[in-house]
Amino acid sequence: MELPDDIKAAREIVQALLKAKKTFRMYPETNPMYARTIEDTHAKFRNFFDYRDELTFKIKQNEIFCDSEQIYSNPQKEDNIALFFFKDGLREITFKKGFSVKELEDFLKILTVDYDREVLDDDVVTLLWERDFQNVRHVVDEVFLTEDEGYENEAVSEIQDKTAGADELTRAYEDSFNEEAVKDAVIVPLTDKDLHTVVKEIDKDVHDKTGKLITIIFEMLYQAENKSEYEDVAHFLNSIIEFSITHGDLETALHILRKTREVIGVSSIADDARKNLNMVFSFLGFDATIKLLGELLDSGVEINEKVWDEYVAFLDKNAIQPFITILGELKSIPARKNVINALISLGRKDIQSIAKGLYDSRWYVVRNIIYILGKIGDKAAVDYLLKTVNHSDIRVRKEGIKALGELGAPRVFPALRECLNDPDIQIKTAAVHALGNIRSTAAKNIILQRMTAATFVKVEFSERKEFYEVLAHWKDDDIVEFLMKTLKKKSFFRSALNDENRACAAYCLGLIGNKDALPLLHKAKESKNKLLREHVYSAIKRIEHGQ
Amino acid sequence: MASKEIREEAFNKAKDIVNQLAVIIRTAAIHDTGNIAVTTAIDKFIAIVNPLILSEGELVLELGGEFFYLNEARIRYPLEYLPNFDFLVREFKRRGLGSIIFRDALKSEDVQSFLRAFIASASSLESFEALAEEIVDVSSLGVSRLRKIRDEEKTEGSSDVRKMVKKSYFNAVSYTRGVVSKIKSGEKVNIKKVKRVVESMVDLILEEEHLLLGMTAIKDYDEYTYHHSVNVSILAVALAQRLGLNKRALTELGLVALFHDIGKIGIPIEVLNKPTSFTDDEWHMVQKHPFWGVRAILKMRGIDATVARAAIVAFEHHMYHDLSGYPKTKESFELDFYSKIISLADQYDAMTAARVYSRIPLPPDRALSIMMERAGTQLDPILFKFFINMIGVFPVGTLVMLDTRELGLVYQSNTVFLDRPKVLVIINSKGERGEGYIVDLTEKAPDGKFLRTIVKTMDPNKYRINLAEYLL
Repeated sequence: MELPDDIKAAREIVQALLKAKKTFRMYPETNPMYARTIEDTHAKFRNFFDYRDELTFKIKQNEIFCDSEQIYSNPQKEDNIALFFFKDGLREITFKKGFSVKELEDFLKILTVDYDREVLDDDVVTLLWERDFQNVRHVVDEVFLTEDEGYENEAVSEIQDKTAGADELTRAYEDSFNEEAVKDAVIVPLTDKDLHTVVKEIDKDVHDKTGKLITIIFEMLYQAENKSEYEDVAHFLNSIIEFSITHGDLETALHILRKTREVIGVSSIADDARKNLNMVFSFLGFDATIKLLGELLDSGVEINEKVWDEYVAFLDKNAIQPFITILGELKSIPARKNVINALISLGRKDIQSIAKGLYDSRWYVVRNIIYILGKIGDKAAVDYLLKTVNHSDIRVRKEGIKALGELGAPRVFPALRECLNDPDIQIKTAAVHALGNIRSTAAKNIILQRMTAATFVKVEFSERKEFYEVLAHWKDDDIVEFLMKTLKKKSFFRSALNDENRACAAYCLGLIGNKDALPLLHKAKESKNKLLREHVYSAIKRIEHGQ
Repeated sequence: MASKEIREEAFNKAKDIVNQLAVIIRTAAIHDTGNIAVTTAIDKFIAIVNPLILSEGELVLELGGEFFYLNEARIRYPLEYLPNFDFLVREFKRRGLGSIIFRDALKSEDVQSFLRAFIASASSLESFEALAEEIVDVSSLGVSRLRKIRDEEKTEGSSDVRKMVKKSYFNAVSYTRGVVSKIKSGEKVNIKKVKRVVESMVDLILEEEHLLLGMTAIKDYDEYTYHHSVNVSILAVALAQRLGLNKRALTELGLVALFHDIGKIGIPIEVLNKPTSFTDDEWHMVQKHPFWGVRAILKMRGIDATVARAAIVAFEHHMYHDLSGYPKTKESFELDFYSKIISLADQYDAMTAARVYSRIPLPPDRALSIMMERAGTQLDPILFKFFINMIGVFPVGTLVMLDTRELGLVYQSNTVFLDRPKVLVIINSKGERGEGYIVDLTEKAPDGKFLRTIVKTMDPNKYRINLAEYLL
């Protein structure tokens, strides 16, 4: 049998709500689909209200009825809108004709909430109730809230047994004539000032209460009487820190940490108190805490550099491993940067723990760890870093070489010298730059040794140029002399290669800026070799004009 | 703008309609209705009310109990509107006026005629009739009489509501018992469900406040602790709704109040129910319960805003306004707003209950007068004013003798005439005990004098009299 038009319209509304529920989960408010969904769904409601002023959905476990007609049925648990309402006790929803677009949007938002998330204390009924729609009514079956159905009868009969007998009532009546009469009741009227005071207090009350809770927890510490009470205090402070991090509020966490440090410093404090308060600092380095911190960093919330640095300063070395773990998981560059900075700071307390990160399976983590070890600047890291020079990933090797150059201990030289002969140009270049960074005579000699070797002339021009560029770090007389000699050198055999060397020497002299080289450079600018001329010109310009 | 949106916006302005109506009546009581101060206020009133009359066809502003309704929708208002709302409630009641019906778009002259009639009717012995007769020619306006209380009590609907209130109340108590038992055994508590229980209480407070407050007046249950928690929650929410807190905040407050004494799970029941005074050790234990409360709440689940609030209240509810209570703290303290509210509710319920530290349950009016002495020291003086305005000078459950020689129990407070509640008469003027009937002490004889007035109050506990027999 064909359904009446109004029932058909009601059925279309249910379908539109189902569709909208999905769309709202997929698209943000700024997406045109979002607005279109609201408009389309509202059009369905308008269509219904052309027939009637009120639409009531009667909700069963797997069905929805309008009047006595079933307009929705779904035996499955998934995407079952009837069950979605039913499970929270909702049995009837009525939409009135005035149901506005704004109300529809809010209603759809309530449908879209992920109620299975444990952190959420609301169900669909609570949200409908809080929103207090002007044009939506709902009927709820509260039976599932009843804990003990017999309690009411039990309590009522118990109290009724205690009620007064007739004799006592008569006695009360008789006694009443001997009672003192009431004086005029004092009625205290509310003044405008009272109202303003309360309004002000309500306005003030919206502020976050975590600070107050922290004060209370410390009061509990001051008055704790046994070990378990001290343990509880530490546990609660940890929970608040966790809560603050989750809410992007490192300031509150810092407040706890500062206060904890202050209290630990009080000489009269009990040993148990001190011991448990120290646990608060350890907690900061637990896997779960660092993971939360990582989520905060990755969330894009702007973190004040000073706040971050102060927070990191409270961390203990137990935070190193968890930080290394999340380092490979973070998605944003600023987040990784913050963690790297934290590890640099923490690594100063325990370089060995940082070095463990060199065994991480993720090459990019190893590269970050090398960078961190380099920045820590502790020569003890050299032994760990030397192993990275032979890592399977070239990006790691390059970073390792660079770090060795930054640390510059004598025992890095054999490895770097070996790298200068590596088949890979990137490694050779990295090694020469690392040696250049060291700036010691030994480093200089290793480079010169390589450059004066017979085979050097055969290497690529660009690679040779890198070597000369590095030499410019020294500006020593022997270097200038070596360069001038190279620039002067004439060769009938392999003259093109020789001119490339001369061009490199000219380039290097330019970098050093030594004016004594100018006559020689001017002379060389007459060369027929274009490459040489260009480098010479550029060197003269740099020396004469500082460009 | 679409007409539906206009309607919704206009309904949101319902509070302004009542507020502005109070303003024009107050202004017209001072100036002639043609005075510019009055006409300007009238124009403002018309600008608010006419769009709604046009969209609705007819608009009925009705007084029901202590609340105003516009076309049956209860009007909610912020705290700063309270004086004008109270004023209008009083003026309506004074005239026996139940509703004003706006049938057509108003003109300034219509409102002026109404105001003249309204003000003149105050001095008439039959105020409502005088008002109705005077405005009979104003076609855009009409009035109807305030419904008689006795009629309300007799209706079948009211008995259903009472059953519902009773059910909700006991459900809340049994639920609280279940939650406490779960906390004791370290089980997880489903906050979603607790919230729903509190929400249904908040609904009842918003709609049927007097019935739920009546339930709190029944004492002497065996399960004192759980009834006390629920009573404190109800009293706190009732007070806070007068302060203008929204539904979400009322739920949070109600929830927090349910757990304010949770620390007492650490005190042996023999100590809690001890009929004599506490020893020093027992007193020390009792004074620890705020700490244990914080501990129980924070262990119940992870920290969030509500948990933080509940822990704060559990810690502070005995500290007192002047911080002279317990626990004493090392650092300076400012009490939380919720703690101040709950502390009031807690003191009142504890003093009037049978099992408390004082060991002697006090009659409600006596408890209130002790609290009045404590206002400014133990209790926040301003919030106490609100509390007494809510609960009345003779709170529900007070045993009273009327000047008619009738003996009864205060059944429902009157928030406008604080000393004139509704009384459930249990012994009539001839000294006979009957089924009980309700009288409203604001009712007047034709000569304008009140029909009944409270002349004496007595201790109902002394005679084991309470409301249970009549309410349950």
